[in-house]
Amino acid sequence: MIDLNAEKQVNKRLVEYAAHAKGAIALAIVMLVLAVAAQLAGPFVAKAIINRHIMGIQQVWYEVTPRAGGAVEWEGKWYVRADRMPAQSKRLNPHTLVAVGTRTYFLDGVVSHVARGNEAGQIREQEGGRSQLITARPLTRQQLFSFYRPEIPGVIRLALVYFGLLAGAAIFLYGQQYLLQVSANRILQRMRKDVFHQIHRLPIRYFDNLPAGKVVSRITNDTEAIRDFYVNVLANVLSSIATMVGIYVALFILNVWLGLMASILIPILIVWIWLYRRATVSVNVRIRALLSEINAMLNETIQGVPIIRAFHREQRTQAEFDELNQAYYDGQTRLLRVNSATGFNLAGVFRNSFFIAVIAIFGWRSMHLESLVSFGVLYAFVDYLNRLFQPVTQVVNQLANLEQARASAVRVFELLDEPGVDPVFGSIPRFCGEVEFDHVTFSYDGEHNVLKNVSFRAQPGQTVALVGHTGSGKSSIINLLFRFYDPQGGQIRIDGVDIRTIAPQQLRQHLGIVLQDPYLFTGTVAWNVSLGDERVSRARVEQALRDVGADRLLAHLPNGWDEPVLEGGSTLSAGERQLISFARALAFDPAILVLDEATASIDSETERLIQDALSVLKRGRTTFIIAHRLSTIRDADLILVLDAGEIVERGTHDELIRLGGKYRQMYELQTNMAPASGA
Amino acid sequence: MFQVLWKLRWFFWQQRKRYAIAVGLLLFLNFVEVAPPDIVGRAIDLMNQRGMTAGTLWDLVGALALVIVISYTCGFTWQYQLYGGARVLELSLRKRLMRHFLQMTPRFFEQNRTGDLMARSTNDLNAVSQTAGFGILTLIDSTTYSATILVTMGSLDGWRLTLLSLVPMPFIALAMTKYGKMLHERFTLAQDAFGDMNDRVLETIAGIRVVRAYAQEKHEEERFAATMADVYRKNIAVARIDALFDPTISMLVGITYLIGLGYGTYLVFQSQLTIGQLTSFNVYLGMLIWPMLAFGQLINIMQRGNASLDRVNETLAYKPDVVDPPTTVAVDRPEEIRFEHLTFRYPTSDRDNLSDIELVIRRGETLGIVGRTGSGKSTLLRQLLREYPPSQTGALTIGGVRIEQIAMDIVHGWLGYVPQNPMLFSRSVRDNVRFGRHDATDAEVLEALRLADFVKDLERLPNGLDTLVGERGISLSGGQKQRIALARALLVDPEILILDDAMSAVDARTEAHIIESIRSVRQGRTTLIASHRMSAVAHADWIVVMDDGRIAEEGTFADLMAQGGWYAQQYERQQAYGEEALDDSDAIALAEERG
Ligand SMILES: Nc1ncnc2c1ncn2[C@@H]1O[C@H](COP(=O)(O)OP(=O)(O)OP(=O)(O)O)[C@@H](O)[C@H]1O
Ligand SMILES: Nc1ncnc2c1ncn2[C@@H]1O[C@H](COP(=O)(O)OP(=O)(O)O)[C@@H](O)[C@H]1O
Ligand SMILES: [Mg+2]
Ligand SMILES: [Mg+2]
Repeated sequence: MIDLNAEKQVNKRLVEYAAHAKGAIALAIVMLVLAVAAQLAGPFVAKAIINRHIMGIQQVWYEVTPRAGGAVEWEGKWYVRADRMPAQSKRLNPHTLVAVGTRTYFLDGVVSHVARGNEAGQIREQEGGRSQLITARPLTRQQLFSFYRPEIPGVIRLALVYFGLLAGAAIFLYGQQYLLQVSANRILQRMRKDVFHQIHRLPIRYFDNLPAGKVVSRITNDTEAIRDFYVNVLANVLSSIATMVGIYVALFILNVWLGLMASILIPILIVWIWLYRRATVSVNVRIRALLSEINAMLNETIQGVPIIRAFHREQRTQAEFDELNQAYYDGQTRLLRVNSATGFNLAGVFRNSFFIAVIAIFGWRSMHLESLVSFGVLYAFVDYLNRLFQPVTQVVNQLANLEQARASAVRVFELLDEPGVDPVFGSIPRFCGEVEFDHVTFSYDGEHNVLKNVSFRAQPGQTVALVGHTGSGKSSIINLLFRFYDPQGGQIRIDGVDIRTIAPQQLRQHLGIVLQDPYLFTGTVAWNVSLGDERVSRARVEQALRDVGADRLLAHLPNGWDEPVLEGGSTLSAGERQLISFARALAFDPAILVLDEATASIDSETERLIQDALSVLKRGRTTFIIAHRLSTIRDADLILVLDAGEIVERGTHDELIRLGGKYRQMYELQTNMAPASGA
Repeated sequence: MFQVLWKLRWFFWQQRKRYAIAVGLLLFLNFVEVAPPDIVGRAIDLMNQRGMTAGTLWDLVGALALVIVISYTCGFTWQYQLYGGARVLELSLRKRLMRHFLQMTPRFFEQNRTGDLMARSTNDLNAVSQTAGFGILTLIDSTTYSATILVTMGSLDGWRLTLLSLVPMPFIALAMTKYGKMLHERFTLAQDAFGDMNDRVLETIAGIRVVRAYAQEKHEEERFAATMADVYRKNIAVARIDALFDPTISMLVGITYLIGLGYGTYLVFQSQLTIGQLTSFNVYLGMLIWPMLAFGQLINIMQRGNASLDRVNETLAYKPDVVDPPTTVAVDRPEEIRFEHLTFRYPTSDRDNLSDIELVIRRGETLGIVGRTGSGKSTLLRQLLREYPPSQTGALTIGGVRIEQIAMDIVHGWLGYVPQNPMLFSRSVRDNVRFGRHDATDAEVLEALRLADFVKDLERLPNGLDTLVGERGISLSGGQKQRIALARALLVDPEILILDDAMSAVDARTEAHIIESIRSVRQGRTTLIASHRMSAVAHADWIVVMDDGRIAEEGTFADLMAQGGWYAQQYERQQAYGEEALDDSDAIALAEERG
């Protein structure tokens, strides 16, 4: 069911795609590191302010010359902090600044280890076991502030450093996030471009049984689901791994034994990821498939709403859609259940289990054996463990995104891997127009032959008509001529050249077709004729439209040929759509023109007009006509009568009438059947 | 900023139990979560003091184990409930969208493109559902967490300092409001662009044969590249704002920290604060960064959700063009269809597409409609489908009641409609045929197919009635599709059968067969046929010739032939070639027969 090989390939290919933006990604990662570093530096600065400038004044001060740099006046003399004294200068008249509780004292001599005395105004000095009471006056606020005053520039300097770090971190953070988004979008654009290109490489056959909505789902929705992979997963996983490595290094430096103990987490994590994938891969695959089903059904329903309404089918259609929607919901709920059961919840369980293990092991040892490590180390170990679980949680929280992206990627890559042929452009000389089918046998499905041993030859400039019951294979002959499909047997030659040796795009340069069901794109009337191809001039467009009589029938359009055409030409009548697609074929001035029931939805008056124009236009080009109204094909140079994929009669109109076979039958029927019970 | 939550209030109210459970557990867990570090700390202290006994060890381990069980079950439950809510929202909005589409008439689909509607039903719903899951989580987390910190800070270190350090908070709020607004705008554009892209792809696939036949692959790729460049540009515009959130917040929180530190230091210098207090204050300030970042993320999610919800609501807000009136008139049987000076124009048209149509079709009659391309045949027939709001001038009545006063279900129940371009659905031939009556037996299906002269084709289909057709099935020829569409309409055995040029791709012999069969089964019921083959309507009780939205000629076949107008000319032209092949006597005999 799930192709394991493709599964494995996915990661590799996702990373390969990332290579399209490797510069930006690398830069983003550098910025990430810098931003984190700058952020981490912040607290150090704060610590520096407190240690150096606040706590820092509590030390020994020496007398210096008045008004020396950083000196503080105290009872007429000037003092400076010991650590600010130049190294070689003499240390005179030491004083010590100490804080006891909320009070601060400036004591004579070098004093260490002080505590509050028994009475107010007394402090106790402890030194080497003996203690001594000193009576001292606490500093007033102003006095104390004067000791702080020299620190102010330092504090401001550090604050500025802090601010600088902050600004730096902000800029790097912005750069990192922006760059990652840019890379993700660029990769996505690249991927979509590749898929869209692939669409044009695939054989027409690929689209025969594939709803358009499903293809759309792959090109847009599935690629969109991969975006997360590049924006979140990549950044989070990379930074988490970096953090984890850092913590492990610290742990091993702390104590190898503890480091090893914490390393148990790594195999757990690997097994976890592996199990998670196994549990969710099929759900994810199903969810993506269901989404594409939903898209297909949305598309089909939107196209079919008029019919659904006319047939009173709204409720059942809704029920069918609800079923799909519900299946999608169920899949997601199942996934959610797995995610809730794992994710940070399970990470929490592991973290607390580690704590239990730590308490149990060390608690037991503390009761029975000499302790292995100091308690300071133990505190640090618990702290590191706690920190270690932050990146771990981050990683496991990304698993859901990762798996969804992978399931989507599989679908995208699947489409990309379909065998196809690169379109080959570049012009080839115009055909004279000799078309020859040489014992052509063809089947769409490899079982039922739709064409059996079909042979005929059309001379340049001739008009060949194909007639026959519906489903007799008329359109299939055209499909082969256009190389939409290739025959299983026989050869098709144009000007004596096997068309298999000509690239389809080059071949089609000189072929023109009016398809049985005309398709109009969103745009304007004129655009739909020229398809935006610069080889087709505006004058040609207008001429072609005039040739098919559209100037008369579409005269009412307020914007003329620049009238907007909506999706599928929905505001035009069926005949008008067909006329426009007819004009399209003429505007491309093909050497071989194919009309596949091109006038089925057009009234015979207009058809006559087209025919008059065609009699001029047909000159110099080989024309194939498929039509049910035999009047349309009467003047053909060669009429081929098809029946169940075989040519059963051939000749001109007169010959075939004289022959008195199938053609004559059809012909008589058409001319005689009305008004009553037919012939 | 939180309009999206307000707009979704119906949902939260509907799911109130789920959200109460989720939020309650979430808050409860915040308290449970502080236990493990505390327990571990206590354990280490005990070891340190050599006070650990087997009993206390068991107690501590037991307490931790209890915490594990509680936090896992609660954690699982809230996560499942909260994110489950997001999924329910997605499910019900998508359901609503579909229900909405099914009520819509062509006007709506002219204004909205299919690809974009698809994008709204998938891509946008994704963003909306985020607000109901992750959005709520960040909302709860960021608010409770920051409130806790602020309260702790205030009570421990004095309100003055706390309030002072809050000075930048309004700036954060201001920045978030501004970014939020910009994000909303840009994200809307990006989602629009996604819809456009969806549409481009859909059109390319739907028109793939045209693209191939005219070797337009390169142009298509170029155009798609332009569309993608647009998508890229708009997403980058979003990213520009998106990437601003975190840096701005960490910058502003950093400034707060700096102010706190600076002022705190000053207070220490002034002996108003102890160093210990300053340190703990700083620790708390440092902790504030996380909920603030979460706050930014919250705004981000809310605005994205809001933008997408607006797009979805925009679609849902479209009022159906055609609705039943509050009181409908019951009509048992469509006795008589009467056009009374009906004038109609499509909403996008700037001229009347039908003018002053005066026509009566009695029950059981067959009406033939012919006329040039674009003359209004389909428009006339589609009046019965009620796809557009009723026309202001003139009326269409059925059994003496204006059609817009009859319940739409009733009208649709009478109709069998074969559209001009037959559309089949992705299902088996059988299911396509019984589209309008899903309980039909195989015998009925086969009978309908026989009437549509499809039986011979059926034999050639790989799986007979079970053959898949439509988008994912085998490709049928144009005539085959038309005949299945015909069988689909015939199966419901409708009171009124509408054939809109339903056999244009069918050869004449087959058409003659079909017309013959239809006539035999449609005795006593109304049939409306539009066609380009004059012969196909020759048997009708009444024939109208449309020209530029008006009835140019009307009458029975004989009348029209006698008039020698457009109908007669076209009829003769289509028959013209016959006279050469047959000898004159036959032609005269035929003409007499017709007369
Ligand atoms: N949905 C629409 N919105 C606006 N104009 C429309 C719409 N559908 C058709 N028209 C216009 O109304 C006119 C009549 O169209 P209609 O489809 O009724 O023609 P018709 O007689 O059926 O033609 P055909 O023989 O080609 O089927 C045409 O000019 C067409 O462009
Ligand atoms: N793309 C396709 N895949 C499979 N079968 C097809 C395809 N196109 C046509 N057919 C089948 O091939 C037969 C001939 O079809 P076609 O050539 O379109 O007939 P027509 O003479 O009406 O143009 C029909 O039975 C049809 O169902
Ligand atoms: Mg065909
Ligand atoms: Mg029509």
